[in-house]
Amino acid sequence: MDAIIEYRDVERFILELLSDYDVIAPVSKDSHYIFDQIDDPARVVPIIIRNYDTTLLPPVKWIYPDSEVLLRFNINELTETKAVTASRKQVLAFLHPCDINAINIMDEILAEEPSDLNYLARRRPTVMIGYDCPGPCRENILCFDKGYHKADRGFDLFFTDTGDRFYVSTATDTGNAIAEKSAVLRKAGYADKVDLMKINWERETRFKKSVHGDMNRLSHLLKESYDDGIWDIEGKKCLSCGACNIVCPTCYCFDVVDEISPDMEKGLRYRKWDGCQLHNFCETASGENFREGIAARVRHRIFKKEVYLKKRFGRSGCVGCGRCIDSCIAHISIIDIFNHVMEKARGHGEI
Amino acid sequence: MERSNLIPAPATIADIKQLTDKEKLFTIKLNNDSGIRYRPCQFVIFSIFGIGEAPISISSAPLDSGDTIELCIRSAGNLTGAIHRLSLNDRIGIRGPYGNGFPLEKIDGKDVLIVAGGLGLASLRSLINYIIHHRWRYGKVTLLIGAKRPRDILFKEEVLRWEDEPSVETYIAVDVAEPSWTRHVGVITGLFKYVDVDPLNTIAAVVGPPIMYRFVIAELLSKGIFEGNIFLSLERRMRCGIGKCGHCQINGIYLCQNGPVLSYKDAKKLQEAM
Repeated sequence: MDAIIEYRDVERFILELLSDYDVIAPVSKDSHYIFDQIDDPARVVPIIIRNYDTTLLPPVKWIYPDSEVLLRFNINELTETKAVTASRKQVLAFLHPCDINAINIMDEILAEEPSDLNYLARRRPTVMIGYDCPGPCRENILCFDKGYHKADRGFDLFFTDTGDRFYVSTATDTGNAIAEKSAVLRKAGYADKVDLMKINWERETRFKKSVHGDMNRLSHLLKESYDDGIWDIEGKKCLSCGACNIVCPTCYCFDVVDEISPDMEKGLRYRKWDGCQLHNFCETASGENFREGIAARVRHRIFKKEVYLKKRFGRSGCVGCGRCIDSCIAHISIIDIFNHVMEKARGHGEI
Repeated sequence: MERSNLIPAPATIADIKQLTDKEKLFTIKLNNDSGIRYRPCQFVIFSIFGIGEAPISISSAPLDSGDTIELCIRSAGNLTGAIHRLSLNDRIGIRGPYGNGFPLEKIDGKDVLIVAGGLGLASLRSLINYIIHHRWRYGKVTLLIGAKRPRDILFKEEVLRWEDEPSVETYIAVDVAEPSWTRHVGVITGLFKYVDVDPLNTIAAVVGPPIMYRFVIAELLSKGIFEGNIFLSLERRMRCGIGKCGHCQINGIYLCQNGPVLSYKDAKKLQEAM
């Protein structure tokens, strides 16, 4: 059942969610936005009514946290190491299409056998509510180039602002159940659906491309550019800080670390995010570093998304949210890199 | 709730042998009834709780469905240093086996040429003992073994036994030796002059330090062995073993899943492999 909710009722709707779930939603932080667990709907409503800019960190952090306990152990009773897989009923609310698409990509990668059971344990009970941005949120984005500015799956409910009210599409049984249970949603009528179509059509016209060339050829053109000078140029700028890895909604590399209490008895093993841009990412105990050059690491990050994941899953592993561009203090931009390989291909008469 | 697949199974140190200055051989007993099934050139992830995990090649051969494996471990880092300080009956954790292992079906009825440089013998010993145990299945078997100095040769008594074994041809090279050393002195590629191969019927297995591959592969190709018949086991930082953590990625493949054994034909398509 698709539904309509008035602006003034959104607070009440969030309260309804809060009675059944932990709710994670966009809130202001200084001059930016973040996803945070909320108990006060008033923190969220003004933000979704005026739309919010992409959050600093992606919402997937609530399914794939920066550090996560894998097991607890006691050195004296090693037969009883306790595996920890955490899960809770949570709603990730008001996610932009790029972030929903990113979670779809993460689902595909991490559910692939042998699957990541820790991720799946958090993912399964998570309800996702999408929220349509009315157009490009800022300059350094390429979601439209990639077709990731729209989400066609991966959410239970989806909010579209139609002025004074939201059109709420329901996509799953869970979404339907939430909509039907709510006292503040009313069934969408024919006129509402026509409104939605008009708004979606107008929205589509607001986006423009950031990369000039055929995105279907990008993977191929990058492969052709494996030895291009661009990697050395960008490598000279890169500080190997790994900020791009941290903010990326589809980066999932991790390290496994042990911690032990001062009495040397109880301890825990946890995993924490790691980043392929860090200098020692591929260093083995023998001291061999298999991706020692910065240029090779910069190239690897881009190839991972655009070539390797594309080959495995048939679509780009980058949703074009642009967080890596905004977070890079060395001003490395995937848009510039993609434009460079497109430009080069045009020079060769390839496109 | 499903158990995380990153949780090690409890195991016990059943035996420890000092092999060289830096390497020890550990016999690990799995504390379960089902034992451990593996192929040569697979690896396990070894845990000491409170210190961490590291990938270790299996050195024993899968000759029975026993509940023990042997691991030859060089003291090189934080964890392997701690492993070297373990004593008999200490409790540790094991996950795995991981990786594709050696494609045994490819060597049935073929001549096999095995090239093991340094610590490369730790994983190739599994294949060698497997082959010797099923010797009738294979044609000519040749072993080329290289080490820095005579005292660095891993499994030395066993290597000398292979040398006396009439059914395998064994050549040993050391980079540096005292005058009493009667075998080859020089890099491992110097042994190829002793080897006569039937290039159409030979499968090669190569494991050694990264620098060795390029030179050994050039020798194998110059003998006429096909690129698809040369198998390499590559070393990378294997962290999770389930193709997720990203550390062992070589271009588009996760070595812990699609490796560590690759044919040279496949490896040379990966710019980051060699």
